[in-house]
Amino acid sequence: MKTRSLKNAWFAALAVASGAFANGETEFVTFVGCPIYRDTDLGRKSGCWLAEDPATGIRYDVTDGPTKPQVGKMSLFEGVVTKDPNTCGGIVLRPVRQAVLDEPCPIAIIPPEEFPGRPFVLPPEVLKPTWEPRELPQPPYRTQEFHIVFDFGNDFLIYQYAELITEKISLYVKASKPKTVRITGYAATQPIVVSGRTLAEPASLAKARADMVAEALSRLGVDRKIMRIETNTKPQPIAGLPTPGLESSKRRVTVRIEL
Amino acid sequence: MRIVSKSAAVGAIAACTSLAWIAASIGESAPDDRWWSPNESRTFFERLDYANSEGVSTTLNVNGPTPTGGHPFFSSLGPNGRACVTCHQPADGMSVSVETVRERWRVTNGRDPIFAAIDGSDCPSLPQDQESSHSMLLNHGLFRIARPWPPRDADGKPIEPEFTIEVVRDPKGCNLDPQYGLKSPQPMVSVYRRPRPATNIKYLTAVGFPFEPKQGLPLPTDPEIGQMISGNLMADGRMPTIRAQIRDAMRVHLQVPGTPSPAAVNTIEQFLSGLYSAQSVHRLGGLLNEDGAEGGPETLRDAREGDLQYGGSPIWKEFFAWKDAAKNASLTPEQRAFRESVARGAEIFSKRTFLIDNSAGITNMGFGNPVRNSCAFCHNMQRTGMDVAPGQVDLGTTNLPTANSLPDFPLFKLTCREGKQHPHLGRVVYTTDPGFALTTGKCIDIGKITIQQMRALAARPPYFANGSAKTLREIVDFYDRRYRIGLTEQEKQDLTNLMSVL
Ligand code: HEC
Ligand code: HEC
Repeated sequence: MKTRSLKNAWFAALAVASGAFANGETEFVTFVGCPIYRDTDLGRKSGCWLAEDPATGIRYDVTDGPTKPQVGKMSLFEGVVTKDPNTCGGIVLRPVRQAVLDEPCPIAIIPPEEFPGRPFVLPPEVLKPTWEPRELPQPPYRTQEFHIVFDFGNDFLIYQYAELITEKISLYVKASKPKTVRITGYAATQPIVVSGRTLAEPASLAKARADMVAEALSRLGVDRKIMRIETNTKPQPIAGLPTPGLESSKRRVTVRIEL
Repeated sequence: MRIVSKSAAVGAIAACTSLAWIAASIGESAPDDRWWSPNESRTFFERLDYANSEGVSTTLNVNGPTPTGGHPFFSSLGPNGRACVTCHQPADGMSVSVETVRERWRVTNGRDPIFAAIDGSDCPSLPQDQESSHSMLLNHGLFRIARPWPPRDADGKPIEPEFTIEVVRDPKGCNLDPQYGLKSPQPMVSVYRRPRPATNIKYLTAVGFPFEPKQGLPLPTDPEIGQMISGNLMADGRMPTIRAQIRDAMRVHLQVPGTPSPAAVNTIEQFLSGLYSAQSVHRLGGLLNEDGAEGGPETLRDAREGDLQYGGSPIWKEFFAWKDAAKNASLTPEQRAFRESVARGAEIFSKRTFLIDNSAGITNMGFGNPVRNSCAFCHNMQRTGMDVAPGQVDLGTTNLPTANSLPDFPLFKLTCREGKQHPHLGRVVYTTDPGFALTTGKCIDIGKITIQQMRALAARPPYFANGSAKTLREIVDFYDRRYRIGLTEQEKQDLTNLMSVL
């Protein structure tokens, strides 16, 4: 059976980023730290997010994640080091992900100083308004796999990312009328040590994530009777990804549309 | 001067945009004509114009002239003598202003059914003939909203809440009342809220996008109407559809026993769906659809609902044309200055950015806390300023420490169970109205209030669900304080003027 996997924005971006290093070396950093908001103003949503890796004291620019930090709360940061211009006051990580942890930090909001910041850019694809008709995928249909990645420790479907994938799944299901929609929730329970902390996702998150995606698909018209919900708490990364994406790709739900 | 029919109003206004005329119409409107009592035989014309302190607000009725006699929206369907129109008055932008409420007390010696014990008094157990027992309604224009505790889901099953509620302060006594309080046989939380305008309904129910970013899920579909719901009804989002709201209003405000008649529900829904309300004339600015401006209710009637504003099509662009007010030589200097101010206010609304912080619903869903944006970030639906997504946001109007000082209000202490918390206020939250959390039982929803529409504002002070902004200017002052925006006096005036023409 042939399968094709949808590379979502995060994976696609990763591929681009790693390609940027001609020698094939991708420098990837993971750390836990307190976010700093630099109040640059190039219009709406334009502020900079910075954070320091405690192990090296290097300040990174973590602005470009699909979700942003919260001042006063510690975050886990994971990203690819780039040579992009320093517009915020740190080495730009891109792609980058963050996850807000349940640990307090001092609140840090700093002025722009000499940094211009970066204007906010809308993701290349956003959900269409309701009144715009949706096009159904055309035959031939085949078994499909879609991945939805979550923030560490979280089952929240990320805005301007997950709703596009869930809608695509629902349209494919509507068009191809599959026998089964297999929804596998993964939780990365294998501990990782980051900045001296041992981080692991609770096993219950696998089910919570799968349930969240099932609820989303059900609200989009996918019949619960054809859904099979499964969990996996010892996930392997998605095959074929560049190294930096490996750990975060474990925190996902994979939806397999089986004809 | 009473203006009721379409021809009279349009003719009169077009014939004399003179400010003297408008001032005269404001001065002369007789209070008795303004007030719509239940069971009257009147006609709700296709256009109703009413003066207010800022000019004139207009309600269009696209269903055409509607006789009120026997019409369920205008009839006292239950025993307390009230009709829907009692609290949703055409002269008050289909809400009811605190001024009007006071006038009713004066005219009827407190006997108007609007003061009915159930929710027109601070608590039904208080002596009803005393003015002091109706203080929330008379002083703030607020009705008592009693929510069952714990909350119930759509099937009426109790939801296990993530927090406990203690009453810290209860100046009106209702939350500690043996019959109506939190410890009564049917436990209730009493909060006090403004009537939301029952007009411009297609915008209230619009589903601009099929997704609800604050919950991270597609919008749910209501089984009765077979469509996705907007999630934009009621301060606490407790009602999924207009139909459900009509039934609930009959049961609660009108005290109609049993199951409301589907025919009456249909008639009311059809009637409400035909209403469009907005300010149409300003005492300084004149006609609001003149010289390229597109104010007034006609645009609301004609435009598509649920459209998102964005950089290329900012909200309130209806008034940008007035940037060039100077080109119209026939305007007085005051008129010109006012129109220019409105145009600036419209631009400030979407362009002037500031740091939005600690506003659950916005700052805890991935945008970051803080996030730089404008008024239009939350108020993003073209033409009504609601949120295109379900608009439950903790702006801080009810939660301490950001709420205005509200000594008349009950104060609750909410303690979240282990592992649960409000995203910005922690496990213990002090609030005068838990808002959306009274519907969901969730800590992340404490103090979230559904963003209301921003039309015909001048007809219905005070503002915010708890009436804590007495004037349009106080709304702006609240935001300036809340988000430390640092608006200049001119910017504050411009925003206030903008709101006075919506
Ligand atoms: C005693 C005053 C009162 C009466 C009578 C009354 N309402 Fe209301 N109405 C309110 C209040 C107060 C709210 C807002 C409650 C809240 O937000 O919790 C409201 C809200 C509404 C809304 C929601 C608007 C929005 O933006 O969410 C609609 C629609 C409505 N009422 C229709 C009706 C209808 C139809 C009737 C008659 C069956 C009626 N009302 C009778 C006070 C009243
Ligand atoms: C973080 C989201 C957010 C931002 C930003 C925001 N608002 Fe609001 N606005 C709300 C919420 C939530 C409510 C309802 C609050 C309540 O009733 O307690 C509201 C209500 C209002 C109302 C309705 C009042 C009424 O009673 O009908 C007006 C007018 C208003 N805001 C104006 C503004 C202006 C002007 C700005 C910019 C200075 C602004 N808002 C910025 C969330 C926001």
